[in-house]
Amino acid sequence: MRAEPRTILRFLLENFESLRDLYEIQLSDGIVKKEILKTICGNIQSQLLEYKILRTIDDDFEFHSVYQNLIEFIISEFKPLLPETIEKYNSSISKLYQKIVEGIDGDTQILKLRVTELGTEIKAFFELVERNTIGLLKETRVIKANVEKIEYREKIIRASRWIEEYIVPLNRILDVNHSESVANKLHAIGQFVNTKRLSFADEQLRLQFEQLYHLIISINDGLLKQSKIITTELLPLIDRIRTESMILTGWIEFLDNPEKYATPALLRPVRDFAYSDNIFLNTKEFFEQFTKEDAVYLDDERAEKDKWIFNKKFYKNKLQSDLPVNDFFVWCAQTLAEEYKTIELAKFFELVGLVFEKDIDPQFTGEVELQEIKTDKSTIRFPKITINKHA
Amino acid sequence: MLEYPANHQEIVEQFLNGRFILHDDKLFDEVKTNENFYISFFKRSFGYQFEVTADFAYVISDESNENLSRDISVFFAILCYELDKNGKNFLEELEYGYFEYSQIDDLFANSSYTDLIATNNKLKDSSARKNLFNEMNRRNIIAKESDDTFTITPAYKVFIDFAKELATNKIKGESTSN
Repeated sequence: MRAEPRTILRFLLENFESLRDLYEIQLSDGIVKKEILKTICGNIQSQLLEYKILRTIDDDFEFHSVYQNLIEFIISEFKPLLPETIEKYNSSISKLYQKIVEGIDGDTQILKLRVTELGTEIKAFFELVERNTIGLLKETRVIKANVEKIEYREKIIRASRWIEEYIVPLNRILDVNHSESVANKLHAIGQFVNTKRLSFADEQLRLQFEQLYHLIISINDGLLKQSKIITTELLPLIDRIRTESMILTGWIEFLDNPEKYATPALLRPVRDFAYSDNIFLNTKEFFEQFTKEDAVYLDDERAEKDKWIFNKKFYKNKLQSDLPVNDFFVWCAQTLAEEYKTIELAKFFELVGLVFEKDIDPQFTGEVELQEIKTDKSTIRFPKITINKHA
Repeated sequence: MLEYPANHQEIVEQFLNGRFILHDDKLFDEVKTNENFYISFFKRSFGYQFEVTADFAYVISDESNENLSRDISVFFAILCYELDKNGKNFLEELEYGYFEYSQIDDLFANSSYTDLIATNNKLKDSSARKNLFNEMNRRNIIAKESDDTFTITPAYKVFIDFAKELATNKIKGESTSN
């Protein structure tokens, strides 16, 4: 029974280091000998076969290409391919393009499939070119760094081999000005697809052409970058390896994996000096940001000031118990002054309203002279009113 | 009472802010003359190591700013690599060259270390690199000459020595494994 995909992925994760070692061995020896497999992965050998990560070749083993590509991709360890391997896309892309042109008015179903396939082939071609450039950069940087300290003559031989066998042919594939190059074909295909994405009658196919057009545009950009790397960095390899420097050797090694090395120590600046005048307040401020304070609620200011509610019953009872009252307005003022010390105008008028109560019987004394009462906001003059008894 | 060198407070402030004091700085002579004092002062006061060469002085601690150091190292590594690729003597350029920010932008845009640059927050684009340059300027690793240009101070030698040491160890390792 086939294993669960998650189980396989978990297995890859848990045993990645061993798998990486196996991959390195296959890369250098072309195969994983059974003795080596037993030494490195003896305890997981059965799963490696069960999950189809390895397959047997006589008594020995090798990675299934899917897993080999996966590990290669994850660790960016691309082995440069001979240009012939990449060149094959020239033929597949050209043929598909030719068939599309010839069958443009034919069966739409087969046309759709061909357009899809063409996109797939173009992507595969670009990925291979990209991987190859990365692989070539790595190999040529090894020559430049020359950690092995090989002789200059040997360096030139190695560099020449890379240039002749890999770099120059790859450059030819990417040379847009060369009529037989893949890049040139892609350029022509781009022009053709551009017209079809605007004018083709079938909407679905029009959309497919549209997608293919954008794919080609982005891949052409990518190819241009690769081509630039080849012309500026890979083709002049012979010139570049004439000089050698320990510093560059170090930097090339470092850039291969910057996280691997402890870089020069640089001081992390301190916040303040222990003898600074500000140290007390700065420290206090620094620590205060971590202290948890109780929540503070701010009430509306108006709510804090008295929303005084006039208790009519209370004051009416007081008035009635104080009867007879010789001077009603003075009584109001005194009542408030006793209770609140100050006489607020609003409260004063509320209290004055008692005079209109039905069971209160106010009497005007007839005295012409008005008397003054000072409130918090103003001074008011009132006539004298007496209240002797209940109405 | 203990006698302190002249400008002691300023010197200590510079070092504790992670700065290199360079040979053309007025404080450098004071530092150089009192080398033993400062070795002992930083060791006893802060537990820091004090380093002085003919060109610069700085202090280092166990609590290092690793990320910054790594970013600066990657910057110098790519700069040297790209200058060499363009047929220049990178050591001469570091020592005597004037760099324009736009020149650095071009070098990084055309570098084949695309992934490394794109995934480094301090180097990924022109504005990110500006921040790194500001930090390097604060620490006297580069000196801003104008809004567009800067020079590299002798403090670069700390990073070049690191690269040399790495190469030496790698070559040694390679020869012992052969």
